[in-house]
Amino acid sequence: MIETAPTLSEFFVAWDLFRDPSLTGALAGAMLGMMGIYVILRRMVFLAATVSQAASFGVAGAYFVGLGATGTLAPTLGALLMTFVTLYVIATDTSHEQHRRDALLGFVFLVCSAGTLLVGTRIAEEIQDIQTILFGTAVAVLPSDFRLMIILTIAIMALHIWGWRGFSAVSFDRAGAQVRGLPVRGLELGLFVGLGLGLAVSTRVLGAMPTFAFTVLPSLAAVNIAPNIRTGLMIAAAFGALSGFGGYVLAFLFEFPVGATQTALAATFTAVTWLFGHKH
Amino acid sequence: MKLTEPNNLVTPRLVCKDLQIGRAGKPLLPALNFEVRPGDVWVLIGRNGSGKSTLLQTLLGGLKPLSGSFDVEPSCKLAFVPQRETHDLCVPSRAWDMVESGVDRGWGFWRWGGRAQSVAKALDDVDASELAAEPYGHLSEGQKQRILMARALASEPDVILLDEPTSAMDPLAEQNIFGVIDELRDERALSVIIASHSLTVVPAIATHVAFLDRDQQLVLAGERSEVLSEPRFRAVYGNVLSPGEAE
Repeated sequence: MIETAPTLSEFFVAWDLFRDPSLTGALAGAMLGMMGIYVILRRMVFLAATVSQAASFGVAGAYFVGLGATGTLAPTLGALLMTFVTLYVIATDTSHEQHRRDALLGFVFLVCSAGTLLVGTRIAEEIQDIQTILFGTAVAVLPSDFRLMIILTIAIMALHIWGWRGFSAVSFDRAGAQVRGLPVRGLELGLFVGLGLGLAVSTRVLGAMPTFAFTVLPSLAAVNIAPNIRTGLMIAAAFGALSGFGGYVLAFLFEFPVGATQTALAATFTAVTWLFGHKH
Repeated sequence: MKLTEPNNLVTPRLVCKDLQIGRAGKPLLPALNFEVRPGDVWVLIGRNGSGKSTLLQTLLGGLKPLSGSFDVEPSCKLAFVPQRETHDLCVPSRAWDMVESGVDRGWGFWRWGGRAQSVAKALDDVDASELAAEPYGHLSEGQKQRILMARALASEPDVILLDEPTSAMDPLAEQNIFGVIDELRDERALSVIIASHSLTVVPAIATHVAFLDRDQQLVLAGERSEVLSEPRFRAVYGNVLSPGEAE
């Protein structure tokens, strides 16, 4: 019997099965794509990589101490804990020296990468789970994770759609925003808490690699073609959603790993906009 | 209110009394005393590292004074025009968007719309309406400076603070910017504070000068003619300014 390649109609026939994971990818892509505009334009790409790696370590740590099997809450809390510990360590480094900041980020990134792999060899759920955490090879998503992603995406995107002028002002004209009486510290806090939550939950549900990819690539593509920040936010969210959903569909059709396909699709959008986008 | 000369009778908008500026608890200069009134154009001059930026940051609220006070009249609104180089050209923005980003004060950024009129007026005030649709990064240095000034004007301030507004600008563009500032001062009774290391600003538009010299621990602040004729100022800049300019 000859085995034929899966088709698009088969994907939609089995929509009940694929709905949650494909839409979770789309939601994470839209949410992180939108926030990614601030990540790349504020030169925080390495911070996003480090935070998603730290969140992976938090998930692995939760499994290691035996809480992973009890439900999805403990790994999510592990991811959140490590995310905010990392953000706190970076935020309280007052040296104002770029090389020191980079070195600190590199240190945390490597410790968390090594820690995830080391802990991974000792957890009961075996190395397959670590693959899922790191590279987003998960084909299925739990209903509770899907619901969490819907709530988080709606909350964060609403905050950013409504408050983008404030986030933009503190990001690109901080002194001007301060003198005009904008709540600069509150806006910075809102931006970083939203980013931390998004990165932690997405890493927990989809894995570190697609999370990092959604944070960087759709916004890079958007900046290449957008005339302004407002349009850039919308385009980045759209590219992110397309990468998340389209990547899942392509992974099904070509039997590729999900996270890598989502990343590759997002990278394709970026490459195309680099080639054909205008320089502003 | 139309101003042709500085008005010393009206209430000051900003008052610096024995203001000691510095970083990490270390004073940079002797205490400063000056008052900024409607229509005043104060130029903070001094060499690189003289303390201009620290003073500007203190006035902007980014640094706390070490001692003394810096009071702003309660109804007075401030705006800031940073150095052009501080704007990252990777941030996508048209001239209109740049100006629009300066409209909101306080929690006004939550508002959904209603900014177009302020943006159009600010662009018109600096004669840059025709640049509205241009990408900011494509503009000349003089045009960029006008757009940044329009951004500051969009929130309808009483006082604007400018950091090196004419650096890396050709003489013609420089004169154009001076003309815009002078017009705004005259028409809106705007108070202006300019930090500059270039002396050309002083004869062009200054009504008052604050000369800062960290090396000699010297601060001279007052009306332009008083400061420029001060022997200690002339000892540093006397051969740069012609006698006519000093007067």
